[in-house]
Amino acid sequence: MKGITQVIAVELKLVVRDPMSAFFALAFPLIMLWVKLRSGKPLPGGLPAVDATVPMLSVFVIGLAALVVLPATMAGYRERRVLKRMRATPAAPGMLFGAQWAAHMLLAVLGTVLLVALGLVAYDLSAPAQPGVVVLAWLLAALSLSAIGLLLGAVVPSGRTATVFGLSLFFPMVFISGAVIPRETMGQGMRALGDLMPMAPAVQAIRGGWEGHAVSPVSLLVLVAITLVAGGLAVKAFRW
Amino acid sequence: MPVDSGMHDSRYMTVIEIDGMTKSYRGNQVLNGVSLTVERGEIFGIAGPNGAGKTTTVECASGLRERDGGVLRVLGLDPRADRRRLLPRIGVQLQEAALPDAIKVGEALKLYASFYDAPADWRALMEEWGLAERRRISYSSLSGGWKQRLFIALALVGNPEVVFLDELTTGLDPSARRMTWSLIRDIRDRGVTVVLVTHFMDEAEALCDRIAIVDHGRVVTHGTPGELIAQAHTDSLEDAYFALTGGQAA
Repeated sequence: MKGITQVIAVELKLVVRDPMSAFFALAFPLIMLWVKLRSGKPLPGGLPAVDATVPMLSVFVIGLAALVVLPATMAGYRERRVLKRMRATPAAPGMLFGAQWAAHMLLAVLGTVLLVALGLVAYDLSAPAQPGVVVLAWLLAALSLSAIGLLLGAVVPSGRTATVFGLSLFFPMVFISGAVIPRETMGQGMRALGDLMPMAPAVQAIRGGWEGHAVSPVSLLVLVAITLVAGGLAVKAFRW
Repeated sequence: MPVDSGMHDSRYMTVIEIDGMTKSYRGNQVLNGVSLTVERGEIFGIAGPNGAGKTTTVECASGLRERDGGVLRVLGLDPRADRRRLLPRIGVQLQEAALPDAIKVGEALKLYASFYDAPADWRALMEEWGLAERRRISYSSLSGGWKQRLFIALALVGNPEVVFLDELTTGLDPSARRMTWSLIRDIRDRGVTVVLVTHFMDEAEALCDRIAIVDHGRVVTHGTPGELIAQAHTDSLEDAYFALTGGQAA
């Protein structure tokens, strides 16, 4: 794992220097939070909207970093032969994968921290009921969604194609998995469809931990299973 | 297989041994039995027209592609089977390779140094190659000549025993080319073996200790620039090249 902290540090700087990914992962979710909380109405059941929206949008941030930015970075590196140059060094593919994952997840951490900070300062966000569960669920969500992103980045030939595939995974998924629209306000059919998405257990687990509901171990196990299957396929399918 | 047991001594002067190497892509035979040897401490040129198999030869030798057949030893290692042991000991500059646009010169050197167990001092390398005052400039803002300098420095950051430089001066203006030539001599003078792929005959003549001329996937002839000129009874290596490959001067 030599060099991994260097690659993580450099990749994180590169991601933050890219105005598009910085805007979408860091500023855009804050704007969404502001837009969604303008009406200020509590959810059915009496839960203050902010206490649902901040956890939901944290999955939005993870999804954006993991499914859109990460595969576009990796495929762009392949297209422009950045990977080919690295292949002629002793750097191992596993290390590059790990570093790409870590750098993009640090981006998601930054985005989440900003959301929580805005929630606390402007909207009276409640502290999470089970902080440990929230952190565990957040990490599993990050692992599972970026395993899917790595798989995409491992096989797609160009940065542009990766962006197209990434966005077409990301947008339907965030809307029907309850990362943008609260699950309790969605119709039965929509919710059933959303539950088939790999993002749905992430939303449920993070919200459950924040609001103090018991988190189903099934949700967490599904996230672990997605990580192992998609991550394993990504390592197998990886082309320099 | 060579019977001479001295061949396997790591101090043996032959750094690269290629014998009858073949390679095809989708039925297109690119290498038709390339044979050449590169000795320690020389600048060895591989010259020839586009599509002759120069880049493929170098990519097989640096472990980026697998040959189909023939003997290939670099520093006594098989680039395919002993990739992990070979990569720390070689450096490459590739045609068409790139770095991320937003990476800065200093970051690129530091990053590449971190890939090696025993790297060169990247700060010293940065000074030496005149990159220090550009350390905060991003890769995409560098001119072609400075990008090439950075790639040479990256090829050297692992303290290699052999460096492969592929079409290093293509696209450079004449003064940047001349400057690059003197930098390549500096590398050789430090004891590093240089394999230089080029299609410029003036460059091959000025720089190389020995040259192999490759055409249609095999070595047509090889020798010092003087030997090739004498062989073809011409005045310059460029004329010799056309005489020896049967090509037409433009």
